[in-house]
Amino acid sequence: MPEINGKEAVVYKMTGRIDSNNAPKVEAEIAELLKDRGRVPVVLDASELDYISSAGLRVILRVKQSNPELRITGVNSAVYEVLDMTGFTEMMDVEKAYRVVSVEGCEEIGRGANGVVYRLDDDDVVKVYFNSDALADIQHEREVARLALILGIPTAISYDVVKVGDSYGSMFELLKATSFSKILAKEPERMDWVVEEFVKMLNRIHGTLVPEGKLPDFRETVISWGRFMQDYLPQEYGEKLMSLIEAIPHDDHMIHGDYHTKNVVLQGDEVLLIDMDTLAVGHPIIELASVYNAFQGYSEYDPETIMQFQGFDRDTATRFWHKVLAAYLETSSETKLHEVEDKARVIGYTRMIRRSIRRKGLETEAGRAEIDLWKSELLQLLDKVDTLVFDKNELEIDAVNDNLPEVQAFVEEKLERAGFPAKTTMQVGLAVEEIFVNVASYAYSPEVGKAKLRVEVADGPSSVTVTMSDSGVPYDPLAKDDPDVTLSAEDRQIGGLGIFLTKKLMDDMSYEYKDGKNILTLRKNV
Amino acid sequence: MLNIEKKIDNDKACFRLTGRLDTLTSPELESELTGIIDGLTDLVLDFEELEYVSSAGMRVLLAAQKKMNDLGTMTVKHVRQEIMDTFEMTGFDEILTIEN
Repeated sequence: MPEINGKEAVVYKMTGRIDSNNAPKVEAEIAELLKDRGRVPVVLDASELDYISSAGLRVILRVKQSNPELRITGVNSAVYEVLDMTGFTEMMDVEKAYRVVSVEGCEEIGRGANGVVYRLDDDDVVKVYFNSDALADIQHEREVARLALILGIPTAISYDVVKVGDSYGSMFELLKATSFSKILAKEPERMDWVVEEFVKMLNRIHGTLVPEGKLPDFRETVISWGRFMQDYLPQEYGEKLMSLIEAIPHDDHMIHGDYHTKNVVLQGDEVLLIDMDTLAVGHPIIELASVYNAFQGYSEYDPETIMQFQGFDRDTATRFWHKVLAAYLETSSETKLHEVEDKARVIGYTRMIRRSIRRKGLETEAGRAEIDLWKSELLQLLDKVDTLVFDKNELEIDAVNDNLPEVQAFVEEKLERAGFPAKTTMQVGLAVEEIFVNVASYAYSPEVGKAKLRVEVADGPSSVTVTMSDSGVPYDPLAKDDPDVTLSAEDRQIGGLGIFLTKKLMDDMSYEYKDGKNILTLRKNV
Repeated sequence: MLNIEKKIDNDKACFRLTGRLDTLTSPELESELTGIIDGLTDLVLDFEELEYVSSAGMRVLLAAQKKMNDLGTMTVKHVRQEIMDTFEMTGFDEILTIEN
């Protein structure tokens, strides 16, 4: 017997045509079935219904009024169209009759967390869900894909739901689409192009503001992973993990949730994002964690596994990940890349360990070895990571002269990317050398400490502001008198030149000591 | 990165610099000069391929100029505009003998 909300339903089978001629008869038959049964759930089986007129629709409406828990099942596409146009599909539960599709002998072109994608013919692919009760998942994925498209993300939306064996599938029109994984595997010389497009799409996703409540908040999911991990980590590490996760700010920008090269496809010259069921809102570090896992984390214990999943080797995956991270953060600074990678790994390992444990990983030797490896990495990271938030315009680095090239490159890359004239870029680079070397020489001497550099480009670009801060001894470099530049070589002092030059090169320069930090701010107009 | 191409002929020397004269590289120029400067009367620094000079480089230039003022002459040649700008800001265009 079919059920609705756990209650047994009365079933009435509608057959042939229902119009003004037989509608009263149909209504009487239904009334007879429902007699003395109160507000019992009703299923109207439409699998043999060919046509319904407005007289028939009025009967359904009256049944719905007396028995609100109503479902119409097995609706063919002609009848479905009528129900859709008249708004019935919005008012009540209407289930279509599903076309049956076989994937026997079809090429598998993608595999995700929830299903497998097969190519049916030149025009169509079908995503078959693992879960046989997947209708709600399919509905969810269609809704979020529509939302993404409206918000400007190029994606494929399924046009039909079909029955595949015992489970369901979503049909997509994808003409000769090739996944980025396949391009990396077959045409390794195109890696830089794939990196560029992959990051462009990622920026597009992360730049998309989602109206409140339209997508799940991935931060909540990460919090649940953190709670799960409490039982598997030493107490103080568990607490640190939880506090790091809870400190991730809420973010209303979109994240894909399962972003890797099988889920980005090239169709003609158009790049499309697919497999949208994990679409959410959240801080980009959560996304980077899953990108890290796809290319590094999952294959850390057994490097061979990446080949089965992506079709390319671990070395390719490693190079790809580094290039992607550098392009996403818009820097080649290894310090910056490691900082963000470490933050992504904290969430990445948390996710993988939990997943493996839930899949009975602790019950096999290989599973335990993998979990042990991830756990030891996670514990080391928890010793050194103090926040999971990152800012791509900031670089924190040991204030030592040897780091000067990296610091200058960090600034110069930002300015070049923003389109500053070469001369301005050089002058700002020069100013950065002077102030960084100052911090390196005096702030912590003879110890070594950190300097934090922040680069902010104003639109246009019209100006750049560079802020350098350190936690060393309070020192105001601007308090010193300027050297007398009119003196002859014999009388000129050797010192004081750097800050003087910086003042001359920049349009504005200011110093403050705040919260135990020296903060020096430079501004240069274009 | 700084490359120094030296031509030394008795008491005359010409250093052709390529790359950057900054905090990390200026000690190289300083040590190259220290070994020979006392025996020179004529020092030429050719900046044609030099892209960048910071205050650390300027300090080495100033020290060399002071020394050569006692020993003979020092000339800086082919200074590009970006570097010339910083020389002008700091009065180095007056201190150094520049031939372009």
